[in-house]
Amino acid sequence: MWMSKTWLVQAFFIFITTESIGKLLDPCGHISPESPVIQLGSNFTAVCVLKEKCMDNFHVNANYIVWKINHFTVPKEQYAILNRTASSVTFTNITALSVQLTCNILTFGQIEQNVYGITVISGLPPEKPKNLNCIVYEGKKMMCQWDPGRETYLETNFTLKSEWATEKFADCQTKRATPTTCIVDYSPVYFVNIEVWVEAENALGKVSSNHINFDPVDKVKPSPPRNLSVSNSEELSSILKLSWINPNIKSVIRLKYNIQYRIKDDSTWNQIPPEDTSTTRSSFTVQDLQPFTEYVFRMRCMKEDGKGFWSDWSEEASGITYEDRPSKAPSFWYKIDPSHTNGYRSVQLIWKTLSPFETNGRILDYEVTLTRWKSRLQNYTVNDTKLTVNLTNDRYIATLTARNLVGKSDPSVLTIPACDFQATRPVMDLKAFPKDNKLWVEWTAPNESVRKYILEWCVLSDKLPCILDWQQEDGTTHRTYLRGNLVESKCYLITVTPVYADGPGRPESIKAYLKQAPPSQGPMVRTKKVGKNEAVLEWDQLPVDVQNGFIRNYTIFYKTIIGNETAVNVDSSHTEYTLSSLTSDTLYMVRMVAYTDEGGKDGPEFTFTTPKFAQGEIEAIVVPVCLAILFTTLLGVLFCFNKRDLIKKHIWPNVPDPSKSHIAQWSPPTPPRHNFNSKDQMYSDSNFTDVSVVEIEPNDKKPLPDDLKSLDLFRKEKSGTEGHSSGIGGSSCMSSSRPSISSGDENESAQNTSSTVQYSTVVHSGYRHQVPSVQVFSRSESTQPLLDSEERPEDLQLIDNVDSGDNILPRQQYFKQNCSQQETSPDISQFERISGSFCSGCFWSRC
Amino acid sequence: MMKILAAGVVPLLLVLHWKPGAGSPLPINPVNATCNTHHPCPSNLMSQIRSQLAQLNGTANALFILYYTAQGEPFPNNLDKLCGPNVTDFPPFHANGTEKVRLVELYRIVAYLGTALGNITRDQKTLNPTAHSLHSKLNATADTLRGLLSNVLCRLCSKYHVAHVDVAYGPDTSGKDVFQKKKLGCQLLGKYKQVMAVLAQAF
Repeated sequence: MWMSKTWLVQAFFIFITTESIGKLLDPCGHISPESPVIQLGSNFTAVCVLKEKCMDNFHVNANYIVWKINHFTVPKEQYAILNRTASSVTFTNITALSVQLTCNILTFGQIEQNVYGITVISGLPPEKPKNLNCIVYEGKKMMCQWDPGRETYLETNFTLKSEWATEKFADCQTKRATPTTCIVDYSPVYFVNIEVWVEAENALGKVSSNHINFDPVDKVKPSPPRNLSVSNSEELSSILKLSWINPNIKSVIRLKYNIQYRIKDDSTWNQIPPEDTSTTRSSFTVQDLQPFTEYVFRMRCMKEDGKGFWSDWSEEASGITYEDRPSKAPSFWYKIDPSHTNGYRSVQLIWKTLSPFETNGRILDYEVTLTRWKSRLQNYTVNDTKLTVNLTNDRYIATLTARNLVGKSDPSVLTIPACDFQATRPVMDLKAFPKDNKLWVEWTAPNESVRKYILEWCVLSDKLPCILDWQQEDGTTHRTYLRGNLVESKCYLITVTPVYADGPGRPESIKAYLKQAPPSQGPMVRTKKVGKNEAVLEWDQLPVDVQNGFIRNYTIFYKTIIGNETAVNVDSSHTEYTLSSLTSDTLYMVRMVAYTDEGGKDGPEFTFTTPKFAQGEIEAIVVPVCLAILFTTLLGVLFCFNKRDLIKKHIWPNVPDPSKSHIAQWSPPTPPRHNFNSKDQMYSDSNFTDVSVVEIEPNDKKPLPDDLKSLDLFRKEKSGTEGHSSGIGGSSCMSSSRPSISSGDENESAQNTSSTVQYSTVVHSGYRHQVPSVQVFSRSESTQPLLDSEERPEDLQLIDNVDSGDNILPRQQYFKQNCSQQETSPDISQFERISGSFCSGCFWSRC
Repeated sequence: MMKILAAGVVPLLLVLHWKPGAGSPLPINPVNATCNTHHPCPSNLMSQIRSQLAQLNGTANALFILYYTAQGEPFPNNLDKLCGPNVTDFPPFHANGTEKVRLVELYRIVAYLGTALGNITRDQKTLNPTAHSLHSKLNATADTLRGLLSNVLCRLCSKYHVAHVDVAYGPDTSGKDVFQKKKLGCQLLGKYKQVMAVLAQAF
């Protein structure tokens, strides 16, 4: 009971609540239009109408309405009060695709209460669909497609409509995913025209496309022919017969075909002339094909009058034509082993396999015949493509044929010349150049008829041997490309040999690249010689393996540490270059770039330093200076030597050593001249200034003539005096005047300073310009005891003779009072002639 | 939809034209009667009619073979007895008549065959529900007959201003037994094959 009461209370409460909410949700007004869809760029006006009840409750009217768009208040200028309950708002040139428009009222206290809201959607009406077209896939239903035109921003429905002249078909509604195509529900009926059009419709409008009227049979895309098969004919090696099954539509329409074929490994399709396949058929024979070649075929079809669409291509089918005899003689060439043995030479005959287009079948073997003049044939059957035979040094004719199941090829004939054959008549103007990724060779044919040309080539390498490849060209050819697996950046040595009826001509060679590239390595530059202002750089030619092209030139870059880099271009034929105008005592960095036609590659950087002085510069300075010093010294020495008396006189006095002097002998008294007491007499003879003692040495073994003796004597005296610089007696004699050695032109008294005997001189001049009162001969006060010989002059000569030895003649000294008068002793033949100086009185002594 | 039209609507339309006394020639409407088409008839209309007749003639024998094969014995081995073209009330055709007369007679024949094919198709879907190839061929033939009827009407309307032709229809098989249905179908298709050969030659 209690539970039932509770339930009733709850139900009542829910009822009351629901009623209350329903009233609360009742809007105070509404906006008209309710769900507007407007065209972009157009004007739009909305009206908000308030309910009387609401106006009374809130004490408001239309003046209190506030419009908001996307929560932003619309300016009052766009409002219009229509009456007490209605207010409108107008928007011009709507550009937003979707906006939220709300009608609000301002209640007491400026509180804004939302009355109603709508969503304004903008878009464009549909454009007229264009390019409507239909296609009928054989066995399927018709499909039409069209261009829908501009974007409408609205949900737009496209409807494909179709009808016969007498009845309509059901509409074809597009699917959302494919709004521009539609597949009709009914099967197409051929030979009845149907009219088709498209209607596009959205909230802003409806528009139809142009109507198209057609017979569906003219829009057919047939299924491709099926079961295509190919068969060959043993009678004709150049034909293949195609057979196929036409599509079912063939029972309705006539067909035409496209038949294409290609060689199996080829990618290019050839087409049978369309006029040959313009009628309905189920087989076709393709002619002019290569024997023993596999061909691939495909075909398609369409309505014979060309209306409609081509079918897809059929599945491919292939067939092989029957064999025929080889159509071409094989390329044929030979190599001769240069080593001869016993009058034979080893010749390797080589030939190329024929291309599949030329073999016309499977090659079974090759037949080679060799014929020497006036000798029988030698036949060989070879399965390989080379044959080595030993031939004499004579001329041979070799022939080669290739054989297949059907027959033999034409023979290739080759003349192997005799051993002493001199090849001449080469091709001229041989050129090689790359073009279209092929290496082309071009030449000018010799004047004489050429049977064929042999082109040989190999890769030049520093490491690998030259492995020759070759090919043969007809005698009328003067331009071809090398049909080998050539690679880029390799230097090919190409040789062209014309082959005449009597043998090969002289081969001509040329180098070429299929495609050049920059060198792999740059040249390594080094200095050959470095000078103060120049440096000679040298480098090696790049190995051919790294050249990757023809080295066109070098560029030498050099710089100092702080300077700008200088570039010098050098011809590729050079291997050294002299850098000039360099700065002395400077570090230079140099590198070198080698260029091909495709670019350059620089080598490692090399540094060198220029010297401070050029080579020989130091020597050029030091040697002249030394020489100058030496010369000056010599001059000084000579001068001093020549003026030694004068110098000696100024440097030290000629002071006799009394302790070592003695008077050996007094001069013979000459009273008038040695009158010491007579002053006049003493000074009258002014020439008597000195006393000289001359040593006369005996001559050698042979006596000389008088004149020559005297000359010789003087020379000896001169040489003997050189190097002697002291001696009391000598010194005193020299002091008198110039050197006393006389020559032929100059007779002067010589001063003999022989070391054998020294003489003391009593001078009349005083010491250091102290003039003595009288010139006297003074006896030495020396305590040196006198020798016995001094006491006995007659014994002296004997002693001298003993001292001089066996080879020395006895020396005889004599004293001469007046040197101006030349006297000759009785034994003059044994003594050298002397020329004495003025002597007033002399004595000799022995130290 | 087309099939539906072929199997249902066309017979319905034709039935609307049916009147008791089938087999007797019915008058065509007066020349001045209103003749409206949705769009103009193509200029090659007669060519299309010939193509349609050739198409039907080309497939008639295959359809006939397919039909009696699908029915099973005893039909294949008793064609003369069971499938002879002994169809009563079949509209006549006079190949030596004027084009208008030939077109009118063609219209009646096509209308007759269309209705009969509709009935056969309906019966075969019941009797041989797995004979899809036969169903497909029957539908395709019915579609073609429908197209031919449209063309002939368009020609009659556009050139001879004939907007209406009274037609007669064959016997209704709905109340007959299975064998009779099959037999009637086979006889009709035999007739169809025979008459199509004549019509294809007549135009």
